[in-house]
Amino acid sequence: MRITKSHKDNIVAYLCLSPAILGLLFLTIIPIIGVIGISFTNWSGLAEPTFVRFDNYVNIFTEDFFFYKSALVTVYFAFGAVITSIIYAFFISIMLNQRIPARGIIRSIYFIPYIIPVVATNVVWSWLYDCNFGAFNFVINSLGFDKSLFLQGEKTVVPSLILIAVWSTGNLIVIFLAGIQNVPRAYLEAVEIDGGNTWHKFRHVTVPMMTPIIFFNFLMSMINNLQVFVPAQALTKGGPNDSSLFLVYLIYREGFMKNNFGYACAISLVFFVFIAALTGFIFKTSDKWLFYEGK
Amino acid sequence: MELKIEAAAKGIKYKKNKEDRINIFITVLVILGAMLVLFPIFWMIRTSFMTNLEINTYPPALFPKKWLFSNYPEAMKTFKFLLYLKNTLSIVIPAIVGVIVTSCFAAYAFARLDFKFKSFWFSLVIGSMLMPGAITIIPIFIMWSKLGFTNSYVPLIVPAFLGGGAFNIFLIRQFMMTIPKELDEAATIDGAGHLQIIFGILLPLLKPVLISVGLFTFILYWNDLLGPVIYVNDQDKQTISQGLATFKGGFGTNWKSLMAASCLASVPAVILYLFGQKYFIEGIVLTGLKS
Repeated sequence: MRITKSHKDNIVAYLCLSPAILGLLFLTIIPIIGVIGISFTNWSGLAEPTFVRFDNYVNIFTEDFFFYKSALVTVYFAFGAVITSIIYAFFISIMLNQRIPARGIIRSIYFIPYIIPVVATNVVWSWLYDCNFGAFNFVINSLGFDKSLFLQGEKTVVPSLILIAVWSTGNLIVIFLAGIQNVPRAYLEAVEIDGGNTWHKFRHVTVPMMTPIIFFNFLMSMINNLQVFVPAQALTKGGPNDSSLFLVYLIYREGFMKNNFGYACAISLVFFVFIAALTGFIFKTSDKWLFYEGK
Repeated sequence: MELKIEAAAKGIKYKKNKEDRINIFITVLVILGAMLVLFPIFWMIRTSFMTNLEINTYPPALFPKKWLFSNYPEAMKTFKFLLYLKNTLSIVIPAIVGVIVTSCFAAYAFARLDFKFKSFWFSLVIGSMLMPGAITIIPIFIMWSKLGFTNSYVPLIVPAFLGGGAFNIFLIRQFMMTIPKELDEAATIDGAGHLQIIFGILLPLLKPVLISVGLFTFILYWNDLLGPVIYVNDQDKQTISQGLATFKGGFGTNWKSLMAASCLASVPAVILYLFGQKYFIEGIVLTGLKS
């Protein structure tokens, strides 16, 4: 009797999981094997692929100036955007959790940028950043500073794009707010009874209790931001002078505009190894600052 | 004795005052921040009603002299909003259905059933959250083109039916764990099968988290640009995001039309959010994001 029930449970469970397992197989595992295989060829998608051994990788590291620049600006953008937006979202959500008037409406305002489609956001900000008639240069100019080139300047393009990313990071705020709700009230009251003030509560209860969520947000937004694509495609086309040539845009350009499938796959694989190593590193260091209840 | 009570009361009062002051400070800060956050949106709307002459005057005016509604029909001559809306919805709606149904099934297996290699599959599914999807665009593109599905929405919709995203599975599973198992057991005694338990008992209780998942999925697909630029070539099949990017490419600095188009692209998402926002945070809070 027991055996048949658990046997039946097994069948039902695998039926329930079959879409997810098929997805893992056809959208993750087989494609990764594909990336590895194609990266050793010069396939253009049309003619038969020829095996070229490590040529693509040799090219990436010795001849391709695009790759270095691209890797550099991608990492610059991702770290800048992640660190800034985590700090911004964390403090905003702490404040949005206080007893302030019209809290619901104010919260919604901070989420709205996340709801605006990313392409629209980028288009709107490119107008704010406009060199001649943009609102930002008007403000900068009125304050007596020199106008900035923003998206058209080699040095300013990535910081400008980071600001757009930070502005639209409502999802981090939502997840932080959800996490703050789970900080046990009893702990906060305990600090109060011991004579602690708002700062103590923040420093010794809220922040430690939130570290798992900070970790989650940090990791997920790092992985997302490393794959930045929209601003390069919609605004800068990788420019000026390749200063916003993000890796996914480079992969797209090599693969779909130049039909160098083999080369694009080699870049993808190098990028994948980098992300995996970074993820591993983040996990490893997390022991040092992660706080789990009951530990 | 009385003195002591008075002193204590004073202490509480002092503390209360101090807390009030902090709260006022935070309120002011948060409201100023909200105004800064709203500024780009205000600027988009305000520009979308101006003439080109007005846009390029210096110093810029806060409001248009005359609200020029004709910018919208003009922008829609090239930015075919209604067509793009129809195209995008014909991707987004099936995708949301696919995500919700398949991630509910997977979450049910993880939350309610005991089976062989459960922890292996669970870590594999959760681990796939870390997989950067952009890495595999080329082999997946080759797969779809061998199957003959390029220049169609199939490659954009089908993945939603294959698992529905690890994060969504995780959210729904966490939420399901908070629902007492006795409910299922009672239903089983009454002769209900697994499907009846999922759709009849769990699904209605999962409403807040399903709305969150639906909203996240909507935003994900509404924002997607990489997928459409790879798979959709026909002008008439473009999505809203893709159409707007193309429009920006062709009309670079025609700001009044670009802002009108951006406003149009934002409206459906904002409306949907206003409907769903009540459940939005609740859906995530109740799951307990821990573990």
